[in-house]
Amino acid sequence: MARLRDRLVSFIAALRAAGVRISVAESIDAMNAVAAVGLERARMHEALAAALIKDEADRAIFDESFNRFFAAPRADRGEHPDQRGEQVSAGAGRGRPGDDPFSLPRDDASARKSEQPGDAALASRRDETPPALEAKPAEKAAAVRHDAEEGHAAGRNSDRMRGSQERGAADAREESRTPGIDAARVARIRAIERMPFDQFSDLDYDEARAALAPLIRRFRIRLGRRLRLARTGRIDFRRTIRAALQRGGALTDLNFRARRPRHVDLVILADISGSVRYAAQLMLELMAGARGCFRRVGSFVYVDHLAEADFEDGYLVMTPALDLYARSDFGRVLGELWDRRAGLLTRGTIVVIMGDARNNRLPARADLVREVARACRAVVWLNPEDPARWGAGDSAIKQYAREVNALAPSRNLRELQAALAAIG
Amino acid sequence: MFTREQISDGLQRASYITNERVETAIFLALALEKPLLIEGPAGAGKTEVAKVLAEILHTELIRLQCYEGLDEARALYEWNYQKQLLRMQAGEQQGLRWEELSEHIFSRDYLLERPLLKAITAPRRVVLLIDEVDKADEEFEAFLLELLSDFQVSVPELGTLKAHERPAVILTSNRARELSEALRRRCLHLFIDFPGTEQERKIIELKVPELDARLAAEAARFVGAIRKLGLRKPPSIAETLDWARALVRLGVRELDTEAVRTALGVLLKHEDDRARVESKASALAPRRR
Repeated sequence: MARLRDRLVSFIAALRAAGVRISVAESIDAMNAVAAVGLERARMHEALAAALIKDEADRAIFDESFNRFFAAPRADRGEHPDQRGEQVSAGAGRGRPGDDPFSLPRDDASARKSEQPGDAALASRRDETPPALEAKPAEKAAAVRHDAEEGHAAGRNSDRMRGSQERGAADAREESRTPGIDAARVARIRAIERMPFDQFSDLDYDEARAALAPLIRRFRIRLGRRLRLARTGRIDFRRTIRAALQRGGALTDLNFRARRPRHVDLVILADISGSVRYAAQLMLELMAGARGCFRRVGSFVYVDHLAEADFEDGYLVMTPALDLYARSDFGRVLGELWDRRAGLLTRGTIVVIMGDARNNRLPARADLVREVARACRAVVWLNPEDPARWGAGDSAIKQYAREVNALAPSRNLRELQAALAAIG
Repeated sequence: MFTREQISDGLQRASYITNERVETAIFLALALEKPLLIEGPAGAGKTEVAKVLAEILHTELIRLQCYEGLDEARALYEWNYQKQLLRMQAGEQQGLRWEELSEHIFSRDYLLERPLLKAITAPRRVVLLIDEVDKADEEFEAFLLELLSDFQVSVPELGTLKAHERPAVILTSNRARELSEALRRRCLHLFIDFPGTEQERKIIELKVPELDARLAAEAARFVGAIRKLGLRKPPSIAETLDWARALVRLGVRELDTEAVRTALGVLLKHEDDRARVESKASALAPRRR
């Protein structure tokens, strides 16, 4: 049944457009999978998922697209009949179970068909929309999909960041009419990852927090991988000799012991004064999620004083409470940190400072940063401000830059994550 | 060849309680002869799938446990060096020429078959379980790619060995590290999450029939609730079952705060998890005292 095959091809194309990576081999697998399980809807759903979705994070997009392409029979959906057009139904519609309604796509011709590049296939499909999609709700769905694709494409291109944000807002409005999680949501998350912190509102912050979970997972994997990549160091005697035995005792290959994970203590200082508070809070939450990768983590926030920071049920708790509207004074904060250095700053400690170094022209105390750097393994400064503005006005970042081991911009979630992953 | 229904029956007979998703994935892995990559939290029953599959197929389960530093010598084959040496010494005494000798010592008799080779050379279809593939190095993963797509290996001295019957391959991963796209592409994928409350109740009733049915339902609900707390190590199904057995042994009749506290060590293996649940025990326990 050529129609089902075409439908599957355009379904795969839509998934690709929503950012799921699907190879040609996988799309052939999908065809074979459907041929194997038949057209019963729930089974076909799971069969396609097993063949196409290799990352559970993509499952939501898949489910949503599946529902759009292979609508359930009327009774299942419990919808008002006249709201729906004559939608292509995979379950009860055309394919009667029992007779094999479409030739097995194992022959060459069909395999080649599925090799067509997905986007082109989708584009052509959109023009000759099947009658099913011309029904009202389907039209709306198609519009959302169109939005999502555009948003996604824009999201890839950082020059067009603004465009994707506007698109993201459009998607948000659209979502109230679209059930479940959809491609539009993915586009929004991608947009928020690239949105500069200084344009954040409380609403954006909440959305960014929702996007944080997958980021934390990726972040942990990256940290874990860095600790694993050891191919030098102590020789693993047993493995080396065993390998040599294969070659009559000649030591052709040396096997190294995997390096034991380094014990890293982390001290985080985050400025939570108005200008950079979203960046600071997101960083603290990100690091709280990756706490297991380090031996000890000390989290602090500051404005004009230092306070310990903790997360309780997703909310930042500081002891003692800080006056968020006080004048930032990082010089004094450094002094307070230095007074508490016993047991906190050791040779194994990496100090991460997040702030814009706008010090209200108070003493910068860059000398203390030098002392801290000397006492610790490294001091890393993350600046959420645009590098073009560094050093302008009351920014003391240029003075600190000379003393720290690394200074990285972290204007958005993407940059923040990359900068943090580099310190592990 | 198996039908979808036979798989379903087989799983039921092997008392593996599952859902449509798992059944379809297993069926497809057999029907398309593709490896099945199973991901999910630790203790959700990933390894169990392979064991049950071997039971359904009435065949042997060959298991390769992956770990950091696993290499071909441990996974595929190795020459039995000691035995070869002994044979050479004996051959010298018999006055055998080198050609005769080398033909002999590089035969299958002197090959130590490791799990992967064993699975390929097995006379009938076996189930090959490559457990925790994320723990192995990336090089090993690349080596697996070749094996999984062609089911053949070449041993230089013996030539290419091809599988008579393609083994059913199950790979499991805990996501300690992200697997490569190439490996994912070659496998079918299945995500097994912790069971829902209803499913877990069925599992408890099946595996710990001594436990009162009402208590089993409450236990399943309690475990489901504490898994949502975001613990360091949420309790696995096996731990739930251990806990259910502990409740039977302790003679617990009412799952109240006190009963929850006494046997919590069976369920939670980290001190801070324990403290966290204990602090909320009174709210979580189905029956308050």
